[in-house]
Parts: sequence; structure tokens; C-alpha cells
Amino acid sequence: MKNAMSVKGALLKSTLLAGAVAASTVAARGEDVTIGVLVPLTGELGEFGKIVAGAVELGVDEVNAAGGTKCGNLRTVVADTGGNPEVGIREATKMIESEGAVAVVGPTSGVMVALVDLAKRTKTVIMSPYAGTITLNELGGDYVYRTVSSDLGDGAASGLWLTDKGYKRVAFMVQNEESTISPAQVAREKLESSGIELTDYVVYNPGQPSYQAELVSVLAHEPDAIYLAGGQESGVTVIKEATAGGFEGEWLFTADLAVPEIFDAVGAQYLNDRAYVEFADSDSSLPEYKAFEALYKEKTGGEPGPFASNSFDMVNLIALSLESADSCTGEGINGVIRAVAEGGEAVGSFAAGKEAIAAGKDINYEGASGPLTMDESGTPDGAYSIQQARDGKWENVKFYPASAFE
Amino acid sequence: MNTISQIALTVVMFGSLFSVLTLSLNLQYARGGMINFGTVAYFATGAYAYAIVTQEPPHGLDQYLVGLDMPWWAGFIAAGLAAMAFAILTGWPTLRLRGEYLALTTFAFAEMLNSLLVNERGIGNGTVGLANVERPDANILGLSENVVYALAAFLLMLATAYAFRRLLASPYGRAVDAIRDDEVAAQAIGKNIARLRFQVFVISSMPIGFAGALYAMITTLVNPELFTAEVTFFVWIALVLGGERTILGAIIGTMALVGFQEAIRAIPFESVRAAEIAASAEDIVTGILFIVILRWQPFSALARRRQAA
Repeated sequence: MKNAMSVKGALLKSTLLAGAVAASTVAARGEDVTIGVLVPLTGELGEFGKIVAGAVELGVDEVNAAGGTKCGNLRTVVADTGGNPEVGIREATKMIESEGAVAVVGPTSGVMVALVDLAKRTKTVIMSPYAGTITLNELGGDYVYRTVSSDLGDGAASGLWLTDKGYKRVAFMVQNEESTISPAQVAREKLESSGIELTDYVVYNPGQPSYQAELVSVLAHEPDAIYLAGGQESGVTVIKEATAGGFEGEWLFTADLAVPEIFDAVGAQYLNDRAYVEFADSDSSLPEYKAFEALYKEKTGGEPGPFASNSFDMVNLIALSLESADSCTGEGINGVIRAVAEGGEAVGSFAAGKEAIAAGKDINYEGASGPLTMDESGTPDGAYSIQQARDGKWENVKFYPASAFE
Repeated sequence: MNTISQIALTVVMFGSLFSVLTLSLNLQYARGGMINFGTVAYFATGAYAYAIVTQEPPHGLDQYLVGLDMPWWAGFIAAGLAAMAFAILTGWPTLRLRGEYLALTTFAFAEMLNSLLVNERGIGNGTVGLANVERPDANILGLSENVVYALAAFLLMLATAYAFRRLLASPYGRAVDAIRDDEVAAQAIGKNIARLRFQVFVISSMPIGFAGALYAMITTLVNPELFTAEVTFFVWIALVLGGERTILGAIIGTMALVGFQEAIRAIPFESVRAAEIAASAEDIVTGILFIVILRWQPFSALARRRQAA
């Protein structure tokens, strides 16, 4: 009985504590405007979630340093989804209903798709810097936006690179996931129309201890290059096993493998000079990007990772929308967000935009990741980078601006 | 809405929804003596049936073959029927198996279904899943949609609990108990064991199908990633937490489990670093809570006391 009492006592105490914490956050809200940061901090996409959350935090600090929006300073509430849509819905609901978030930023593709209905219903803007899913090509546009192009663009860029590189025979290894299959289909079409021989097109299921069965046929055909559209877990295993199996050609990886950790996981010597990676990227020659890069280095001490600039832009777009909207709500943001990114005086930072809006001007936010003019589905045109593995690092070798695909 | 009432609402919504699964499992395992390690399969069948029946016909980049574009209630009924049909399909050849053999077989069936949904893109778009699933406009009586869906889940749970309770309190229920306690004795007094077990298995699958439909409405998305073995384990853990053989225990166990998940995530972190630390600590805290609960079993004790009273 004593034990039961102490358990009850502990439960009671923790409830009171939770209540006190909740009460204090409500009190702290005051005149701030809340933005939910809903990212995977754990799980397969955890590395990206951390980069995105970090860049969002940087953006928020910049906005607040510039005096905040007319709705007050930006405040973030951060939650981990682990990439699970159900958790995403629960956390987003909490952010919107009890934290009063006017926008939720950073969900991955699966979570984003599950949030579409919630966003429209609660009139809250949701925005992702890396959800390339083609499903959003249809569902996006109203309350649902992104600062990254659709996956189909990745496929086009990969196809273009494989063609430009002059390979004669290419094999495809594609993880059975939406984010990898849709771009692979586009890349495949490009290859077929350019007359490159597709030796194998293997769709594999992730989570296996080994992919040797899938690799048997791929390696037997001795392709010049393997296009590997896989996640970090499966990708590493595939690369190791192909190397062990005597593959001596080149690689083209997709965005999920565009992280430095890959060199430790696989062994840099197996990748150097023969592995390439394709991902949606910003034009590093843009002054807006250079400014962002300098800021990022100054504040964090490191190089901006993939989608960092897209994440930074996302915050600025929302802050500028709040600045020019009639009301400090998701509805207000939704009403002006397209106009903020299109037509008018070009501005490259929140501070400049705020000034221009105060002067009564129409603004066009030119982001660090490039122009953010959105199409019907709330998606900007994409630009893509190809990087090569050199000395255990990814280095830029080719940049395809949006105009390359016209 | 403040944080605590929001958490309570989430616990009622998802707790009630998963309670339906726990209740069905309770009927199958604690009363019928059947170890079903494939609960998620019937849940997924319901969700997919609902989505396929209500989804618009495929267009554009869609790869699924059938979308009937029917109203939500047709989908809801179809979900219950589909789960039952799947139970008939899987129960027929397997229910003669006992104990762990049945557990392995049902687990295998669930994995097969998941694999089918991943690889046969014609069923539900493969890994892409079916998005923007139809959900009835729940804006009634001026209540927010979340409250209405939480209520719907709660009602489904009550209906399931009531139906199972009536079933088990009847002579039929006593026959089920008799089979679990001693098959030979039950057979000796003329009970058809195979038929009774099969009936319990199929009947208890129907509410799981309904819960699947409701889940699809709440998430507006069905894809194979949502229906992994994790769901099965979740339900089993809930059943163990709440204590077997009591309807109240099954419900309390599930509510408590969802409650833990929410309580651990209750604090709104304002910095990324804090959220990161919390995310890594979550598993540890969950583990410690499990040990505490399994040691003192407060929920099953509570449920048993209620039952005795």
C-alpha cells in the first residue's frame, strides 16, 4: 500500500509540474507570435531534421534581431516527429491548438501530406524546406507551401547529369519509397530518350541486412555507373556490398546520401573521385546565398548543410508575410505569402523587406536558396547541384539552375 | 485551448481508438486463448478498405487501380466487413494451431499484408499511400473537429466494450471460457471448439476494422509505414499494462500508454537543443515507466478492484 501511495504521489507531482510548465508557457507567450518547428530529430531523416531546425532557429534569431515582425517577436516550439505521420498530426495539433502557432514548418514528405487537411481546417500555414513529394504537386497551394522544388525536378537533374557525363550503360537501384521512386522514374525516362542503355532497374525494400540478391544482376552487367536512390541506412549497405562485389564504376547518389557521415560509414577511399551526389540546392553564386553562408559560418562555425538555405528562407517568408498581412494569423500569412515572393522590389533579407514594407512598397523576397516564386501548388522552381567525393568531402562540380530544364 | 486539455483530448482520441484494438485482442487472447500477433493487419485492412472505397478514381501520377468515390459511411461499413473477410481468410487455415504457433502464423500474415501493400502499388499507391482521405465534415453542434473525432472514437470504444461484455456474459461467453480453460473438457460436453474459436476470431476483427476506418479519417492518410508491427506491439503492451481478462483493464492500459507518450512530450520546447535531448531521453523514460508499472501493476489492480466492487 505504501508503494502504491508513493507511485500515486509521484504521478500527482508530475501532473502538477506539467501544469505549472504549461501555465508558464502560456504566460510567456505575451506578444510573441509562435511558429511550430516540426522536424524529425530521430530516425532515418534525423540528420536533415537537425540541419533544418538549426537553420530555422538562425532565421528566427535574425528576424528578432531586426526588431521582430509587427506581430511581435517570433517564438518557436520544437517537436520531434521521428518521421511518423501520426506523431506529426498529434504534435502539430498541440502546436496549433495549445501553443497558438500561426505556422508549422519543417515536416518531411509523409508528415506534410498528413497535415494538409489539418492546415486547411485550422487555417494554419504549413511549410516544408525538403518535402519534395509529388503528392503535394496536387494537394499543395493553399495553406500548404514549400521552399524546395518537387521530387520530379531531382529526377530531371539526375537524368541530365547521367546524360551529360556520357555514360553508356547505367543501372538503377531504387529504394521502394515514394521520395526515391518518383524521381527515379523521371530520370529513367530521360535516359531512355537519350539512348543510354539501362542495364537494370531494381526497386529494393529497405531494412534488409543485405542487398546482395538485388546486386547480383546489377554487378553482372558491369554498368558504367549505378544510380542509387536510397536512404542512409540501406544506401550505405548497398555501396559497401557493391564495392565488395567488385564494382569499379561510378556512382550517382540522391539527396539522402548528401551528408558527410557517408564517408565514415562507407570508407572515404571507396567513394573518392568516383561518387557523385545530386540534390536540390541554391545557386551559391547568388549574393543572397553568400550573405546567408557568411551568416551561418559566423553563428554556427560550420558550413550550411543541405536544405539549410531553404529552411532559412522559409522563416523569412513567414516573417515578411506577417509583416505585410492584415492580421497576425495563419489566414493572414496565407493571403500574402505568394505576393511577398513575387513581383515588386527585390529584397534579400528580412530587415530590408521590413523597411520596404514600411515605406509602402510591394516586395519580392529573393531567398538564399534562389527565387521563391511559387506555382499553383505552392512549389518554387528548383535548382540542383552535383557534388563529387574528393578527399572524404563533397565538393561542387556542377550546378543546374532552374533555367537548365526549360 | 490550454496544453493540458489538448493532451487530454489527444489521449481520449487515440486512447479510445487503440482501446478498440486492445479490447478485441483481450477477447481473442484473454478469453478465447488465441495469441494474435497480427492485430495490425486487421487494422490496416479496415483503414485501406475505407480509403479505397471513399477515394476518387486514380488520375495523374496515381498508381492505385480502384477508387470508388463513395460516401464515408459506405467506407466505414466496408472497413468492418473487410477486416472480417481478412479474419475469415487468415483464421480458416490457422486457427487449428495452438499457442505460439498461432502467434507466429498471425505475425507472418500481418507481415505479408504489409509487404503486399508496399509492393503491389495497384492496391494503395505502394509506399506513397493514399493521401487526403475523405473525412466526414464533423463541424456539428459548434464543436471543433478534434472534439467530434475524439467523441466518435470514444463511442466506438464504448460500443465495442458493450458488445463484447454482452457476448461474454452470455452462455456463449461461458462456452468460450470453457474452451480456453480446458479444450478436452469443453469438447467432451459437446462444444465445437474449432467453430467457436473461429467465430470469436472473426467477430472480434470487425471493431478493429471500424477503428482502422476512423484512424484513416483522423490521419487523412493511409500508407504501409503507419501499419507496421509496432502497432501490434503497442496493443500487446497496453493489454499487459492494464492486466488481462478485464474490459476496464484493457481500456485503462491503452489510455495510460497513450497518456505516457503525450505526457513525455507535453513540454513545449523552445530550442532545438532541448527538443533533441528530449527526443533521445524519451525511450529511456518510457522504459523506466514500463518497469515501474510492471513491478507495481497499478492499472490492473485498479481494474480488478472495480470489477470486484
